[in-house]
Amino acid sequence: MILYLLKRLAVLVASTAVAGVAVFAFMALLPGDPAEIALGVNATPEAVAALRERFGTDRPPLSQFADWFGGLIQGDFGTSYVTSSPIGPQIGDRLGVTAVLVLGGMVIALLIAVPAGTFAAVHHRNPLGVTISAASQVGIAIPAFLAGILLVFVFAVKAQALPSGGYVPIAEDPRAWLLGLLLPWLSLGLVQGAVLTRYVRSAVLDVMREDYLRTARAKGRGRMGALWRHGLRNASIPVVTVLGLQLATLLVGAVVVERVFVIPGLGDLLLNGVAGRDLLLVQGVVMVLVVAVLLINFVVDVTYAVLDPRLR
Amino acid sequence: MLSVEGLTVRADAVELVREVSFDIAPGERVGLIGESGSGKSLTALSLMGLLPEGVRASGTARLGERELVGVPEGRLKDLRGREVSMVFQEPMTALNPLMRVGAQVAEVMTLHGRSRAEARARAVELLGRVRLPRPEQLARSYPHQLSGGQRQRVMLAIALANEPGLLICDEPTTALDVTVQKQMLELIAEVAPALLFITHDLAVVAAVCERVLVMYGGRVVESGPIREVFARPRHRYTEGLLAASKLTPRGTRLPTIKGSVPAAGRFPDGCVFRNRCPYASEKCQTEPALTGDGHAYACWHPAD
Repeated sequence: MILYLLKRLAVLVASTAVAGVAVFAFMALLPGDPAEIALGVNATPEAVAALRERFGTDRPPLSQFADWFGGLIQGDFGTSYVTSSPIGPQIGDRLGVTAVLVLGGMVIALLIAVPAGTFAAVHHRNPLGVTISAASQVGIAIPAFLAGILLVFVFAVKAQALPSGGYVPIAEDPRAWLLGLLLPWLSLGLVQGAVLTRYVRSAVLDVMREDYLRTARAKGRGRMGALWRHGLRNASIPVVTVLGLQLATLLVGAVVVERVFVIPGLGDLLLNGVAGRDLLLVQGVVMVLVVAVLLINFVVDVTYAVLDPRLR
Repeated sequence: MLSVEGLTVRADAVELVREVSFDIAPGERVGLIGESGSGKSLTALSLMGLLPEGVRASGTARLGERELVGVPEGRLKDLRGREVSMVFQEPMTALNPLMRVGAQVAEVMTLHGRSRAEARARAVELLGRVRLPRPEQLARSYPHQLSGGQRQRVMLAIALANEPGLLICDEPTTALDVTVQKQMLELIAEVAPALLFITHDLAVVAAVCERVLVMYGGRVVESGPIREVFARPRHRYTEGLLAASKLTPRGTRLPTIKGSVPAAGRFPDGCVFRNRCPYASEKCQTEPALTGDGHAYACWHPAD
């Protein structure tokens, strides 16, 4: 188990380093000089050169990378060329908002998918089970932003029960915070929940055919008792894989949903950075997203080992 | 002990097992043989109340005072693992891969009312009784750390845990190495209370059982004490089965039963074996009854 953890940890560290190189190289290859952008088209070459020196972009790429990556390790994302404010704290604030959004969506997805998928599997021969499968199929076909717009139309515009957008920090007003996040959570969670329902259903169906469930029944458990005690943990292994992939998708999908609901998250920051040609900011946000995905994969791998003794 | 009367198993309109009747006395070891598709596993599963979805059993089966067929699941599951136990064919997949072996043995006891601590202690004791080495340590391992033979011993420990009146074994040694097979068979013969032993291997039946039931096409076609049935088979199917299992001198053709087992529901009416039987006549269009005391057979043209 410890060896397995160390191996996974080594993979995490190595892939983070590779990702750092990739993100930096990609941004460096993009045309556009931060100093020229900052000073505009009428700037004198001397002024541009002076600014380059101040930004440090006149130095060789390798030393720029060393500076940037070295800073990252200490939590320093550098200072924006455009706004001259430090990037780290901005990303930190926004990351918290996005994390709450994504995790909330995931919790809703799980709350829908685990009971609905299990039910659909147990009743796969009945009309009700088939209906759930069909409904989840429809859910899969709807993109999260469309679900968001529909939800806004129903709950905010028609019923006027919930705000259509905006974000209130939890420290300011917990109730407003919760109400403001409900629709974004739902629009992410409903769609992901529909996708996940299908995976839960097929995982539970597979497990129901396993010999050890028959053994459990031969011991004197009922159908549901056997499934509960011996089936769900086994079924959760493939579901965890999908959950990890979905979390990564959700993180990226949040960019769009944040736009729909005017939520100041990472996606919003990223889009602002791109619009303002704030290269270092974009570089930082992309790096954070990449590391988040790598971390999710790491957690998934560790979860496998916790669930399945064969991997330890 | 166990008394089965007119057991019939159906999937929708297709009759898979028809009017099977037999008894097993306390301590008696009875073999159930036949090719794949003869209905032997379904017979066993219907005694456990574990028939697959869409398959139903009718008739009666009584274990002591308790009914086993046509009883609601709620009552049946109290009997499973306590009064009747079963060891399955595939030891590699029959245990939960995520659960320690000791816990899986203990579970069958806590399910039927023993305390957790007591079940745990007894699980180790049982693992020793099925002759697994270092039972304390083995109880803490996971199934993938054991060999096929060891896993089958664990299954046997689970089956014996509550001292059931009847043990059903469905091809318990088919998936095991030949060297492990013999030890396993000896162990089963030693520890079984009353035993219903399903196999297609005639040598295995001869080694373990005292009496044998030969099934074909969902019916018992011959039954009787092992020695008599094997020395002097009367039904033409049993005769063919025994001939096919004998070692033949080099260079001679292997004796076989011509044709193959029809699919479920495609057996001929009358005698189910008549389309493959070299002695079949007009008379065989009527179903022969299983007749005879001790050694019984259902054949119009029995072998002498």
